[in-house]
Amino acid sequence: MKKVRFTALVMLLACSMALAACGSSNGGTKNGGQASNAPESKIEELTVAFPMVSSAQQDIQLVEDAVNKITEQKIQARVKFMPISAGEWQQQTNLLFTSNEKLDLMFVNGSLYSGMVAKGQLIPIDELISKYGGGITKALGDYLQVARLKDGIYAVPTIRDLATSYGITFRKDLADKYSIDVSKLNTMEDIEHAFKTIKDGEGGDFTPLIPSGVGATYLENYLTYDRLGDGIGILPDYDNGLKIVNLYETDTYKEQLKRIRDWYLKGYIMKDSATNKLSTFELLRGGKGFAYFAALKPGFEEQESQASGVQVVTKELLSPIATTSTVTGAMWGIPVNTKLEGKAMEFLNLMYEDKDIINLFDWGIEGKHYVKVPGEDNVIDYPEGVTAQTTGYNMPLGWLFGNQFLSYVMKGKDADIWNKMDAFNKNAAHSKALGFSFDAAPVKTEYAAVTNVITQYKLALETGSVDPDKVLPDFINKLKSAGIDKIIQEKQKQLDAWVQAGGSK
Amino acid sequence: MDKENRAWQWASHTIMIALSLLCVLPFILLFMASITDEKAIVSEGYSFFPTQFSFQAYKYLWMQADQILRAYGITVIVTVIGTACSLFITSLLAYPLSRKDMPGGQAIAFIVFFTMLFNGGLVPTYMVYTQLLDVKNTLFALIVPWLLMNGFNVLLMRTFFKTTIPVAVLESASIDGAGEFKTYFRIVMPLSLPILATVGMFQGLAYWNDWNNGLVFVTKPHLFSLQNMLNRIMSDIQFLSANSNGSVSESLSQMPSETFRMAIAVIGVVPILAAYPFFQKYFVKGMTIGAVKG
Amino acid sequence: MSALTQSRKRMKIWRYWPLYLMMLPGLAYMVLNNYLPMFGLSIAFKDIDYRKGIWASDWIGFRNFEFLFKTEDAFIITRNTLLYNGAFIVLGLGIAVVIAILLNEIRNKFAARLYQSLIILPFLISIILVSYLVYAMLSIDTGFVNKTLLPMLGIDSISWYSEPKYWPYILTFIHLWKGAGYSCIVFLAAIIGIDPEYYEAARLDGASKWMQIRTITLPMITPVITMLALLGVGRIFYSDFGLFYQVPMNSGALYETTNVIDTYVFRGLLQLGDVGMSSAAGFYQSIVGFILVLGANAIVRKFNKENALF
Repeated sequence: MKKVRFTALVMLLACSMALAACGSSNGGTKNGGQASNAPESKIEELTVAFPMVSSAQQDIQLVEDAVNKITEQKIQARVKFMPISAGEWQQQTNLLFTSNEKLDLMFVNGSLYSGMVAKGQLIPIDELISKYGGGITKALGDYLQVARLKDGIYAVPTIRDLATSYGITFRKDLADKYSIDVSKLNTMEDIEHAFKTIKDGEGGDFTPLIPSGVGATYLENYLTYDRLGDGIGILPDYDNGLKIVNLYETDTYKEQLKRIRDWYLKGYIMKDSATNKLSTFELLRGGKGFAYFAALKPGFEEQESQASGVQVVTKELLSPIATTSTVTGAMWGIPVNTKLEGKAMEFLNLMYEDKDIINLFDWGIEGKHYVKVPGEDNVIDYPEGVTAQTTGYNMPLGWLFGNQFLSYVMKGKDADIWNKMDAFNKNAAHSKALGFSFDAAPVKTEYAAVTNVITQYKLALETGSVDPDKVLPDFINKLKSAGIDKIIQEKQKQLDAWVQAGGSK
Repeated sequence: MDKENRAWQWASHTIMIALSLLCVLPFILLFMASITDEKAIVSEGYSFFPTQFSFQAYKYLWMQADQILRAYGITVIVTVIGTACSLFITSLLAYPLSRKDMPGGQAIAFIVFFTMLFNGGLVPTYMVYTQLLDVKNTLFALIVPWLLMNGFNVLLMRTFFKTTIPVAVLESASIDGAGEFKTYFRIVMPLSLPILATVGMFQGLAYWNDWNNGLVFVTKPHLFSLQNMLNRIMSDIQFLSANSNGSVSESLSQMPSETFRMAIAVIGVVPILAAYPFFQKYFVKGMTIGAVKG
Repeated sequence: MSALTQSRKRMKIWRYWPLYLMMLPGLAYMVLNNYLPMFGLSIAFKDIDYRKGIWASDWIGFRNFEFLFKTEDAFIITRNTLLYNGAFIVLGLGIAVVIAILLNEIRNKFAARLYQSLIILPFLISIILVSYLVYAMLSIDTGFVNKTLLPMLGIDSISWYSEPKYWPYILTFIHLWKGAGYSCIVFLAAIIGIDPEYYEAARLDGASKWMQIRTITLPMITPVITMLALLGVGRIFYSDFGLFYQVPMNSGALYETTNVIDTYVFRGLLQLGDVGMSSAAGFYQSIVGFILVLGANAIVRKFNKENALF
């Protein structure tokens, strides 16, 4: 008995200490809206979080200082970078929120957007945009409205490729070798024919079709429907009268699976597809494969050729389309932790109109990390003796920092790329549900279960590794018992409400 | 008798050699992969006898030597300081718990044990360390949270003290007028070298291999430990490959390739392999002293 | 009378003050590192709304726990978790004890040391690298097993990553391979700590090696074995995430035999990122482990009070 009492005592002690700690740290939870309107002369410090890849960023402090020089003068604020490793982004940002750390502006990943808003992690910014965001509205145009949720806009999409077209990428040397005219490949039958030619010619173990990435399936870069974010309940042909259906029960899906399976059995598909750990570029460099499906954009062919070191050509199969996901894929929002939302918006606005800031983020400091190519306005190169591998600042995430259209272009790439991209965005067709975002919060329990079932079956089915005749019915049954219908119902409900409220306008 | 002994020796050696091979071969494979040509890996897979060699990955590493040496430095500092502190407070807690005569020992043992079953999880622990103690982006963050002491080691030491230190020795020390601290330092510690070496090794490995603390509490590149660097590169690659769309493929192309990852793994393991024999010397010595005196 | 015993008791505690003082740093650390964060367990019962902050968010009872039980996978993940961990405890301890005894028998000091360093090697590499090595062995197209080993034996190649039936053995093997060298050190330390006089006496009595092991070594290290077993039982609902997620390459076809509670939770919440639900899962794992370990400890106590943990 004594033992128990002693334990209880210690627990109690710990308890009171914890409560005291929580009490003291909880004081500043509410977003005190007025703080940002402090006297103009005072320099505020903004903490800005964004993902980074590759840890070779030893000069990031220099870039931060250079950005500060501009911001101190223009908006009377300093900026403190908080780069977070991309792979750990979600976990890290969750920690920042739960512990209510200082954070004033952050990158928002589109697939987490509605969830973040539902959890109250972002604040609505309509008013702030109209007050401080002139550059944003000007640069984004109508696409800004895509980010609108029920109660307002909570994040601003970055300017990059806002639509996507789906197609297939081929190795040029092989296409030439077998004189395949890529531009004439329009249907899956044409493509299959090309695969057969290659397979017969190269023979043996050679498999023409390789995955477009680790864990990628062969169907997800050939979408004839709007996935509505997560693919749980989709909109066929980007329209379907706004009636959501279960993708996995559609005939189209079944047929696609059958074709992929057929290709797999015929040896057109890399056997290891479902477990492959090598990037597409590594596969190409290693002489594996002939083609892969891809989401295209202007400059894609060039980009892929340079990245892999293997000359490739692309063929568009489905014309450009903008969906909520393609627009909201990368955004910036103001977290609930902030007390400086006004300043944060002013800084965000600079990221859409200030060429110097954007290029500091994208390329670093002129003369140290890049030099302008003489005679060219917009084209840059690495300084003598510096390469992408040795530079002190290498941030290959131009699409992430605000308005990419103001970014310089590295030598060797199309100098006119941003104009082309702009036209691409403007000319893309719009999904009927463009602007609709699904909030899974009301069906969390089912969502977790369904997500599990999908990861269990999807990759194996969509890489042809298993027989759809046997496995697909299982898959559908399991989805049902996990509650997919309830999710679709909820999604339809939210979509209807969205239409009622004015829809895409 | 002799014959029996020889049979035992034979059997032991045979089994141990087989086990050792099983454990070593994958490392050889790892090393071979790091010096295999990138293309050969893709086309032929991993092999003990690659057809094409390339030291490209190590050259690439050499170009970033200053960064890597820095990370090494952090790892070494953290491992040394952390292990020393950890041994100190762990043994100080374990010894009194091994004393059957001390009141409340059972309850405290339960308190220690309880920590192994329940933990608040990442989020609350993070809050304690960032809000109560501001450890973010400091060396403390790499040493203190989670790693400094764990209940397992405390109980392990307690069991050792309990079974190997004769009560009679402690009693006679007490009669001679030695205080508890003196007894602890002069008598208990020298008798406990095997367990100190064992726990010290566990702790040292835990610190050397830890990447979680760096991941959670450190965002400044100058505080990255070696494992942190390796892990970040790996997780970034996974992230980018899994999110492959038009935009990220450019980023992906600049990530190190497979062979490079293997090379980083190799340079992460090599120092332990180099240091381990020295470490083990003390470890074995400690054990022998413990055995002779015990 | 009672005042007297009380004061005597106080005297007794007072006499031990240096011991309590010794424990102070360790206990303080545990309060900070382990007990304070336990209040976070309350998150499991809350619907977190960051506008209100964690502590002011609404209580929602057991709603966060529902996803763990609501599906037909609930049975599979629970079964897998229990069976794997059960096997890991029994085999892991057994093999580590055998290795420790063999190592202790080896008279050639240099060889003993060499073996010891070699078998701990697998412990030194991260599970991600282990998964790469396993893949190098088992890959369908380029794996060492399919390309070299099976053809030598005249067996057709096997697509390992889509055949669930092999994985219980593969995962158990990898777990033992990675951990045995490490845990055998604990036993080795315990064995070396045994007073040599016992063996001397046994030898004089003409006891064989086998007898000595059975009657001296094993009983002497039983407390350590019991302790490790009990600790294993306490963590029986947790699993090494890397082993079950990275090593099978997250291959869907293998879920039947590789899905455990931790991987299920991870996959289910990847998109939702719900702190409440993940805390709920952790809470559930802890509670079950706690109850089991209390039970197991009670049983141990019944047989031998000395060996019990508390």
